[in-house]
Amino acid sequence: MPVEGSLRDPVLSVRSVTFTRDQVATYAETSGDHNPIHLDDDFARTVGLPGVIAHGMLQMGIMGTVAAEAAGGPEKLRRLYCRFAGMVVPGDTVTFTAEPAGPGKLELRAVNQRGEAVLTKSVAEIES
Amino acid sequence: MAGRTYPPVEFPIEAERAAAFARAIGADPEDGVPPTFAAVYSLGVTAPQLFGDPDAAVDFSRLLHAEQEFTWSRHPRAGETVTSRGRVESDVNRRGMRLVSFETQTTDREGQPLCRSKALFVIRS
Repeated sequence: MPVEGSLRDPVLSVRSVTFTRDQVATYAETSGDHNPIHLDDDFARTVGLPGVIAHGMLQMGIMGTVAAEAAGGPEKLRRLYCRFAGMVVPGDTVTFTAEPAGPGKLELRAVNQRGEAVLTKSVAEIES
Repeated sequence: MAGRTYPPVEFPIEAERAAAFARAIGADPEDGVPPTFAAVYSLGVTAPQLFGDPDAAVDFSRLLHAEQEFTWSRHPRAGETVTSRGRVESDVNRRGMRLVSFETQTTDREGQPLCRSKALFVIRS
C-alpha cells in the first residue's frame, strides 16, 4: 500500500543557503523586523557589528523549513528551539541539517562555511 | 519587570503576507502558513510592547536575541485572526548583562491555545 507523504517516518534533511543582503531585506520586509542592524551597514558598525547581520529569526525560519521537510510537513512541528550562537553576515553559507533523533525528535544544526555552529542546542519536537 | 503583562494584540493572518514570509525562508507557500510565522503573529506583535515600555528601559541598540522557542498546540491558518499576550517571565542581571525572558501566548478566536513563544533577550551593558 502506498504511504502518504504526511505519514512517513522523519528523514534527514539538509539545505545550504548563501545569505544575501536582498534576502535579509526581504525577511525584514515580510517579518516587520526593521531593526537597522539588518539593513544599514553604518548603523550596524556604530553598535559594534562588522556590518549588517542576518536576523536570528531568519536563520530559525530556514531551520524550521528544513525541520518541517524532515518531519514530513510543517503541520507536524510541535516545538522548535534555537540558540543563536553566531552571527551570519551576507556572503556566509550556512548548512542547515535536521536529523531524526529518537521518537518525535529532530536534532537541528546550522554550521557556516568555516565549520562554526551558528545555531546550537537546537531541537524540534514533531508529531510521530 | 518580572511578571509585567502587556495588553492583548489582535493580528489577522493574511494569506499574501504568510506566502511572502514563506518565500523569504525558503518554504513552499503552498504548504500554508509557515510555523515560524509565529515570529510575526506571536513574538513580532508583542515584543515591541516590551521594547517601547519606558519602565522596561530596554536599550534596543544593545539588545541581542539569544534564544527562541516556539511550542504549537495548533498551527493557525490564513484568514484567522489570532490574539497574543506578552509577559516578562524574568529579568535578571548576570555578569554585567541583563537577561530578559519574554513569553507570549497566542490564542485563536475561541480562546484556544495556538502558540507559546519564549524569547531570551540579552542586553549588553
